[in-house]
Amino acid sequence: MQLTDKQLDAMAELGNIGASHAATSLSTMLMSQIDMTVPEAIMVDIAEISNYFGDEISALVVFEIQGELHPGGYVVLHLPKESAIRLTNTMLGSTDMERELNEMDESALLEVGNIMVSQFLDATATLLGIVMLPSPPAIAIDMAHAAFSSIVAQIAVDIDEIILFRTELKSGMHDIQSTIVMLPDTNTLDNILKLLDEVLNPQL
Amino acid sequence: MIRVTAMTEPRKPEMKGQNVGIGEYFTGDFVMTSIGLGSCVALILHDRKWKKGAVAHVMLPESNGKMERPGKFADTAVTVLYEELISGGSNKRDIVAKIAGGSSMFKHFKGNLDIGSRNVTAIKEALEKYHIPLVEEDTGGTVGRSIIYYPEDDGKVIVRKADGKCIEF
Repeated sequence: MQLTDKQLDAMAELGNIGASHAATSLSTMLMSQIDMTVPEAIMVDIAEISNYFGDEISALVVFEIQGELHPGGYVVLHLPKESAIRLTNTMLGSTDMERELNEMDESALLEVGNIMVSQFLDATATLLGIVMLPSPPAIAIDMAHAAFSSIVAQIAVDIDEIILFRTELKSGMHDIQSTIVMLPDTNTLDNILKLLDEVLNPQL
Repeated sequence: MIRVTAMTEPRKPEMKGQNVGIGEYFTGDFVMTSIGLGSCVALILHDRKWKKGAVAHVMLPESNGKMERPGKFADTAVTVLYEELISGGSNKRDIVAKIAGGSSMFKHFKGNLDIGSRNVTAIKEALEKYHIPLVEEDTGGTVGRSIIYYPEDDGKVIVRKADGKCIEF
């Protein structure tokens, strides 16, 4: 499926609203300022995913999009390992950086992911006038490309290009970097584009 | 307390040799690498006599007749790598297969289709069909892998795992 520049812009705008809400919840949790990038929506060939997700160890918290659209696709919160450790250190009151992510970190990350992605999907769905809910999350601490491509495999039977829809949220105070990626299923994407068109060009 | 900033450029991983991205395949005597294999499987066909080979980064088990990206599916990947080697002058009896990948990292996740193990099974079936011996494999489990293949070094494959372990075969 090919998207026009206008459609990609509309997708980016949708991401902007969702990500702003996610950023606000992260800001509240960390009690610090959050820097947010202008969200981008880009078409990426599956062969090029390694340009965006390398083999560095990362935490990926994954949600299936549930609600009115199904199969809905996935939303992924990605944090490089050091950022994940800094984030949970901030939450759990630790300063130890020379450690591996343990079960306590995993549940903290699942919780942060849940709050951020719920906000993200809720704001997105409200704009579209539909219901989108995150499934219970799953987490992998692994090579970013390995975990991410395992998710892409679930939606990429018929497609060779994915819409990577991402925003970076950074806390300079805690040096934490995170990315939210939405991977809509093909049908969901169609629906989102249709709904976006109605929102942006209302019939008089 | 939200401030809008510019997006940082994605950090491209440093790679040795030709990277084989998802759904791609390459044939030759140069070093090939495939990073971050999760449920995906790296399929390596190596010609022991001419010290060259082919690598595909397989994502899904069945092509169901789709031919645009033979490297993407297990069945078409085995066929295309085999045919490339044969048409490049390889002799059938010199070709051996090695595979790595096919892990399952989101075990308890709803909607998990267990693609990793299905990929491994589908590749093995296709190899049997062509009577290509599978001489080495490192598959399954729950962690990701990256591989580097050295055709000229007797087809040596180094598998680096996300848990820090390294295997050579």
